[in-house]
Amino acid sequence: MKGSGINAQLVTRYYRKHRKAIIVSVTGLLYAGGWSLGYLTTLDTTSTTLLILAALVGGYDIAKTAYHEVKSRTLGIKTLVTLAAVGAIGIGSYWEAAAVVFLFALGSYLEGRTMRKTRNALEELLEMTPDTATVRRDGEQKEVPAREVEEGEIVIVKPGEKIPVDGDVVDGESAVNQAPVTGESAPVYKAQADGVYAGTVNQEGALEVRTTGAGSDTTLQRIIRRVEEAQEAQSPTESFIDRFAKYYTPGIIALSITAYAFTQNAILSLTLLVIGCPGALVIGPPVSIVSAIGNAARNGVLMKGGEHLERAGKIDLVAFDKTGTLTKGETIVADVAGFDTKASDVLELAAIAEKKSEHHLGEAILNAAQSEGATITDGGTATIQTDDAVATDARPLPDPDDFDVVPGKGVVAQYDGCEIVVGNRALLDEREIGLPEDVAVYVRERETRGETAVHVVRDGVVIGAIALRDELRETAPSVIAQLQDTGIETVMLTGDNERTARAVAEEVGIDDYRAELFPEDKQTVIEEFCEAGHVVAMAGDGINDAPSLATADVGVAMGAAGTDTAIETADMALMADDLERIPYAVVLSKATRWNVYENVGLAVLTVTILLAGVLTSSVTLALGMLVHEASVLAVILNGMRLLRH
Amino acid sequence: MSETTQFRVMDFDCPTCATTVERALSKVNGVESVEVHYSTGRVEIQYDTQIADPITFEQTIANQGYTPQSA
Repeated sequence: MKGSGINAQLVTRYYRKHRKAIIVSVTGLLYAGGWSLGYLTTLDTTSTTLLILAALVGGYDIAKTAYHEVKSRTLGIKTLVTLAAVGAIGIGSYWEAAAVVFLFALGSYLEGRTMRKTRNALEELLEMTPDTATVRRDGEQKEVPAREVEEGEIVIVKPGEKIPVDGDVVDGESAVNQAPVTGESAPVYKAQADGVYAGTVNQEGALEVRTTGAGSDTTLQRIIRRVEEAQEAQSPTESFIDRFAKYYTPGIIALSITAYAFTQNAILSLTLLVIGCPGALVIGPPVSIVSAIGNAARNGVLMKGGEHLERAGKIDLVAFDKTGTLTKGETIVADVAGFDTKASDVLELAAIAEKKSEHHLGEAILNAAQSEGATITDGGTATIQTDDAVATDARPLPDPDDFDVVPGKGVVAQYDGCEIVVGNRALLDEREIGLPEDVAVYVRERETRGETAVHVVRDGVVIGAIALRDELRETAPSVIAQLQDTGIETVMLTGDNERTARAVAEEVGIDDYRAELFPEDKQTVIEEFCEAGHVVAMAGDGINDAPSLATADVGVAMGAAGTDTAIETADMALMADDLERIPYAVVLSKATRWNVYENVGLAVLTVTILLAGVLTSSVTLALGMLVHEASVLAVILNGMRLLRH
Repeated sequence: MSETTQFRVMDFDCPTCATTVERALSKVNGVESVEVHYSTGRVEIQYDTQIADPITFEQTIANQGYTPQSA
């Protein structure tokens, strides 16, 4: 009959899917029936039959796995449980046998279920990438599988759709929700030439995107791979416990054999075997670490692995690179002062000298000179140019005839028969150029505002100075305060001179600063902190600061979403360019470290109490099993708290 | 020809379970290397396509009492 065929199929499918739950329920019912009959009535044979049935139904899978464990010469808890159940039936303790099997089956069912939740933390990310993409091929729009889109192809993304590939916008503008990749909740405005990531959501306008990566070659996929590798890497605590378990498990077996030799009590030695299993001990630390890494990934923070997470939990000093980390990294000319020269001429000469320089101060001077909208004052209040003015009003400047960079000091250029020097005090001293008192006063005054001033010199005479400013990020002071609240020392590293550095440090409220550092000095400073016994985190941009990030105990790369090397190498990569993730990550690491300790402590305590209980005959086999399974569930649930931290 | 395949086992209930599955898989004919991770449930098998095939791996995992899902 067709109908019953379908029914049978449905039943089989249902059974397969819920096999473990069904087995646990049936075992429980048989056990409850057998126990109550034995306790309430005199139907002893029926009761015994039900209890044996319960042990068989619940024990079949356990025994099967135990068989494989023995075959592959691993000694697992399932072998011990099987031994205990068989032993209990052998000496006629049917109730104990059924109880042990039922409790163990129930325990592992619940453990499997909760672990699945932990393992699924990444699934949300995996489901982010759409399966298909609309591409323009031969002038027609065509729907193709997302992983088959080739590099350089144009993908069309309608409003409300998920972006299927990594690429650059070639047409259209829109707000894109990048939360899946960077963890930022606010949408980011995207227009021509901006990069977009697969898995992010196009919210407003249609976008045309030129593909730079598809399928497994996208930032999101790289993130997922990194997170999995991180979760699979063993932390130092895990390796320690693994090594410990190698001696511990045979030790427990020896103990139970000795106990049997002395007492001839089979149940006692079986109980020892079961409760001695290091279940909670081996499960606790990986659950904590997997949960923490999963939580971090959903918030746009990639952790390299358990080892780094455990180390990050001990951080007591965070060093920040100033430019681009504490500040926005957009240097602008705040003020220009001319001394016996027009301020506009000072700016123009400086811009010509800096034209070929790639230094960020040089670029800022060039931008300011090219923008006609620039208002120039003589030592007055700051004027700030916007980027728009630069873009619309760019005017051509002549090239210098000759040009030299003096690293860390400034530039020396030849133009129109004159020698133009733009640089700091050190460059003036080096070239024996005298600094007039009024210029020195101006420079000092700007520096106490946290600005950087450069001198402009024509043919050995200081004709003016330019003050440059890099605004602090709005979040910087509160981030520093949050770290200080958790008892962490904060230090700023900068190439700025002493006065500028002090002013910025005061403004942001940081504990300490190191000024006038060359890039390679930053690494040395980090080394000194480490040698002084600190556990040091260094936050920087992942490219220029790569050496000091690598030297620190924990290197934190900011804004890593666009740079693959940062994703691959940083101990901690903040996908968004968001300073506030630093206290989040530090607090999460500390919570994880405590969580691991709690789990190890709980496991050791449980086993110790149970061992004492068994040896003084106050803990039975079934009670031992119950407490053992409860302790395993407790450490899993405790670890999972980190998922919602 | 050597190839790599992945499975997911979501119902490992202890680290030893993963070790048992890893050992069982490594004994399958044609398997070159196996990684089984308790923490993520990820199973990665590198094998010789002439000798072994993924269906055998699925059966091996199922025989140990766990449910393999294709990754």
